[in-house]
This record gives sequence, structure tokens and C-alpha cells, in this order.
Amino acid sequence: MRSAWKFFSSVKLAIVLIILLTVASTVGTLIPQGRSAAEYAARYGSLAGLFTALQLTRLYQSVWYLALLLFFAVNTIVCTLARLGPKWRRAFRPAPETDAKSVTSMRASARFRLPLTIAPARDRVAGALKARHYLLDQSAHDEKVVIQARKRRLGWFGSDIVHLGLLVILAGGITSGLAGRHAELALADGQTADVPHAAFQLRLDKFDTEYYPQGGVKDWKSTVTVVEGGSAVLTRIIEVNQPLTYRGISFYQQSYGWDWSRAQIVLEIRKPGDMTTFKTVTLKVGERAAVDAPDVTHVVVLRFVPDFVIGEGNQVQSRSDEPNNPAAQVEAWKGEERVFSGWIFAKFPDFGHGGEGDPMTGAKTAAKADAPRVAVVLKDYSAAPYSVLEAAKDPGVNLIWLGCLLVSGGFFLAFYWPPREIRVVLEASQGRVELAAGGQASKSREAFRTEFDGIFESIRRPE
Amino acid sequence: MTESTLFTIAFVLYVLSLVVYSSALFARRERWAGGAFVLAVIGFLSHTAALILRTASSGHAPFTNMYESLSFLSWAIVLALIIFGRSSRVARLGPYLMLIVVGLVALASSPLMPKGATPLVPALQSYWLWLHVSVTLLGEAFFAVAFVASLLYVAADSEEKKARLDALAYRAVAVGFPLFTLGGLVFGMVWAYKAWGTYWSWDPKEVWSFITWLVFALYLHTRIVMGWKGKRSAIIAIAGFLAALFTYFGVNYLLAGLHSYA
Repeated sequence: MRSAWKFFSSVKLAIVLIILLTVASTVGTLIPQGRSAAEYAARYGSLAGLFTALQLTRLYQSVWYLALLLFFAVNTIVCTLARLGPKWRRAFRPAPETDAKSVTSMRASARFRLPLTIAPARDRVAGALKARHYLLDQSAHDEKVVIQARKRRLGWFGSDIVHLGLLVILAGGITSGLAGRHAELALADGQTADVPHAAFQLRLDKFDTEYYPQGGVKDWKSTVTVVEGGSAVLTRIIEVNQPLTYRGISFYQQSYGWDWSRAQIVLEIRKPGDMTTFKTVTLKVGERAAVDAPDVTHVVVLRFVPDFVIGEGNQVQSRSDEPNNPAAQVEAWKGEERVFSGWIFAKFPDFGHGGEGDPMTGAKTAAKADAPRVAVVLKDYSAAPYSVLEAAKDPGVNLIWLGCLLVSGGFFLAFYWPPREIRVVLEASQGRVELAAGGQASKSREAFRTEFDGIFESIRRPE
Repeated sequence: MTESTLFTIAFVLYVLSLVVYSSALFARRERWAGGAFVLAVIGFLSHTAALILRTASSGHAPFTNMYESLSFLSWAIVLALIIFGRSSRVARLGPYLMLIVVGLVALASSPLMPKGATPLVPALQSYWLWLHVSVTLLGEAFFAVAFVASLLYVAADSEEKKARLDALAYRAVAVGFPLFTLGGLVFGMVWAYKAWGTYWSWDPKEVWSFITWLVFALYLHTRIVMGWKGKRSAIIAIAGFLAALFTYFGVNYLLAGLHSYA
């Protein structure tokens, strides 16, 4: 037990741990965190297995990183406690310094005689020190008075308060990790969802994207209503940077998207030669619409993707949720005969007029090799937007803020509230008083010396 | 006068200040350094006016893209020079800090940096933008002072100079470290919690702020508890500033993450 205490009370250990944490943290920024196994395999080849085994791919949640933090915490606690006792005694229960010689060996010192008896001399010294906001401890022995004056005593504990704050932050982080809950709610307008870990629901009344006049998104706004026990409790607008908190659960505007799987499509059915339009139809993905033209009886939309790309195995995929390259897979029929089949593109209307196959996919369409009898153009598309709200319940957060407060306050004390102490020994001799004084400050020593000299000048030559 | 005119005037004055500082150094005319300091102060006033005009015309804090934040960082370094320059009695602090300032302003003025004030994306629309970025960059400006003092320490020849440089580096860290902790880490966590619902995501920029913080924690512990002063202390302060620089700069260009603004 004693050797463990000794081990953890070492500042050298703290330094080793700081260096290890620095190196480990750096490694975690060089290896992308939390990606898929396939991505690591592609990036690092045979090293990927080693990285995963060493938990380098989830480094900040790894056992060894957390162990490092825990060691650091224990080290901080022990180091702080081991140094607290002596500091405490110095600040609150100082041993009286009765020897005039050792008093004047302090950084600032003064020595002179006062033409007074001991009691008024003591009062004068005490008055001058109190005027500068010093707290006094006095003791009298025979014809000798010893005064200990100190101010800004909290400054001695600045670093301890910073350490306490860091431990509180760590405790907050652990609490968040163990008890924090995060869930995503994707809601379309009018949709209601149960809030996880809570006895109420959230309804999205309206989702809006606001744009600047010169383009660019200005804001995402979700108007939501909290529904509790079947009745609406409150309605609020959630924006980025403006979360809603209800019964300990906070809702953040996190993301948004469109429900492309149920997109509404507008198609123009044209004659390939002169491109005269037979008919314009509006239909949803998976639906069929009647055309009733000589060569086309009806059309079907099989699929829609907002950002068409050919992925692995020549599969059609959507690169993103944004409508960067909208494409629809459509078929046109004349009775039982399929007269058109393929992907058509809103931004490339010349592609995919049926026939030989798709120039972008290379996939063969089922249409016959002879000239196509119909052209289908993807005229317009739209999908219902939805809002993604993050529901978060994090009981560690209050500890984090408390810890931040302690760290900030501790820094202020440690750097800008340097304690000052002055010791005065008064000895009566031959109807006068011999005064010996010494003082020190841990920082801003020049300012202290000015104060010290001012105090003793006012004692020697009072106004 | 427009913002860009005032910014250009500031740039010219900073360059002049650097030239006069360097001449003072090489010609050993210490009095000239006073003139260089005055030039830097006038440049600073012009720069301040430029920042105010930009804030007024864009309607948001003047540090939402790389150009703006470089401009603000160089402004903060001149401010740190004004605060520490005279009292530190370190003749070389002025020229070397102004060299960094001119470098940053030149980078900001380069055609690589889009200078237009673009409207704020939703994530940046918060008063925490002011608190988080300004306090962090101020902290980094004082790290720059510690960096220059530490480099000069390593190169210094006399013990008297070394003692002064060592004290200056420590004083700069004593200002920069609390500011960086408060602005970069504390305000950053508060804002992240407000915007994203998580105060810490181990995003590369966050991790690099933490690394910078650890390096300066190392600086203080080795110094105060283990009594390391001088060269070893100087090397840690240099490493700390480089880490801060990487946090500010490198992370944006070399590592991907949430902090894609500036």
C-alpha cells in the first residue's frame, strides 16, 4: 500500500503519463476512427488486423487508453493529496516564526526601531497590515509580539482546484459514457415518434430549410410538439445551436434528408423523332400511370435515386442523399410489349432514350435493337423532406460544467492570485520597540516589494 | 475607407515595422526599435478598424474562414507584442514576432485565401463563435510569444539574456495557457454541446487541442515541480506552440473532421 502510494505520488509518473497520453492521442488522429473493417483493409492492408487488435481504430474508447486516463486520475489524486497537507498548514496554521534573524532573511525585509511601547507598536503594525487587507495571527511571548500576516491564501490551492476540476471532468466523462443516451429521430412533417427512454412523444409539425438570398443554407428549423399522455404539451422551434430540452432530454437539429424511396416523379412521354410530347404524367415510385398514346399504353417507375452512381458489381447506388444526379428507372409498355426500359437522367435528358442500352451503366436494356418507338424524359422529381433530430440524455454534463468551472477558477488562482505573507517580530528594549519584518510572494514579486516597502514606510513614519 | 484598404495599410505598416526592427537589430541602433514599435501600434489600430468594419458589414464575428481567422490571429499577436514588448526588455522579441505577423498577414492576403465574407452556415450562428474563437486565438498569440522567447533562449549567448527570455516565455505561457484552456477547451465543449448534443467527440481538432493542452501542462509541471528551467523548458514551449499551430492549421488541411470551417 505504501509503495503504491509512493509510486502514484511521483511527479515523474505524471510526466511519463502526460507524454504517453500525448503520443497515444496523436496516433488516434492519424488513423481514422470508427470506420468499417473493409475501409481499414483497403487502407492498411495486412496491418488492418493488427490495428484492430490493438484497438487503434477505436483508440479513445480502447481499454488501454481508458487505463491510461485512469492511471492519470489516480496519479493526480495522490500527487495532489500528498502536497495538500503541508500547503494547508502553511496557509491556515503556520508555525510562528519568533526569531528576528530568520524573519529578515526572507525576500523582502525591514528592520528599524519604533519610539513606542509594545502595545501601541503592535497596534500600528496591525493597522497598517489590515489596511492592505492582510489577515493576522498574533502571538505574544513576554516582551515579544509575533505577527503573521497573509493574504490571497486561496492562491496556494489554485493548482489543487485545477486538479480537482480535471477529476470532476473525468468523472463526468465516465458518467456520460455509462449513462448517456443518444438516439436519432428521423421525422417527416406530421409524423410522431416515441422518444427513447422517456414517457413522451415528439411530433414534427413542420421542417423548413431557409436559404440566404445569395444562396447557401441559412438555417434548418424543425417546429416540434411534445406530446405527453396523448395531449400536446408544448410547441417549439428547434434550430442548429438552439436545442429544446424537455424532462432532461435535449433535442438537437442534427441532419435532414428526403424520403426518395417515395419520390414523386414527373415524366414526359415523347415521340423519338420530332420529340412531340404524347403526354406528361405524374406518379410515385412503384406506381404505374396510363399514357394511352398510339405506341404507349402505360409507364412504370421502378426506382429513383437522387445521386446516381455505379457502385460495386455494376449495381446502381446513390452516392449521397442530395439530388446531384437524379435518375429514375422506368419502363414503358404497349399492352403486353415492353417498348422502353432503362435509367433516365434529369440532368442528361439525351441519355437513356431506350434501345441499345444505357450509356452510363452499360447495362443492356430489354428493348429491341431497332429504333425506339418512344422517349421518356425525367422532367421533375420531388420527395417529402424529413428532419433528423438527435435526442440526448447526458447526466454527465453537469459534472463537466462543474469541472470546467473549477479548472478555470483554479487557473485564475494559480496564476493571478499569488499569496503574500509578511512576518513581523516586535521586541521591547529600553523603552522602544525593535521591529524586524520579512515577506514573500510566490509571484509578481516587484509589486509585492512595492507594497511591502509602503507598509513599513507607513509604520516607520505615520502621517 | 474600406476594410480592405485599412487591412492593406496595416500590412504595409507591419512590413515597415519589421524592416525598421531588423535594421535596428543589425545596425545595433536600439533607439530605432522604438520607432518600429510605434509603426506596429499604428498598424494595429488600422487593423483593428479593419476588423470592426468587417464585423459591421458582414454582421458576424470576423473569424469564420481561414482569411478572417489568420487576420485575427495576427492582430492578436501584435496585441501580445504591445502587452509584452516593452516590459520584457527583450530587444529581439519585436522583430521576430513581427516576422510571424507579416508571414500570417501575407498568407491571409495571398490569392489562395478567399476573402469574401460569406453568410454563416447554421452551425456557426451562435454567440459562442465570438467567445470560443477569439479567446482561443488570443491564447495562441501568447503561445507565439513564448515560442519566440524560447527560440531566442536556445540561441542566446549570455546568462543575463537567457534569464530574461526564460522569464518572458513563462509569463507568456501563464497568460496563454489559461486563455487557451478557457477558449479552446471549455468554451469549445459548451458550444459543441449546444450545437451537436455532445461536448466531446474526439474529433481531430478536439484531440489536437487536448494534445496542445497536455504539452503546456508538461511545461508547467516540469518547471514548477521538477525545477526544469532553461533549455528543456524552452524546447517544450516550442513544441507546444507547434502543436497549437497544427491544431489551428494542419488539422484543417491534413485531417478530416467536424471542424471544417477554419
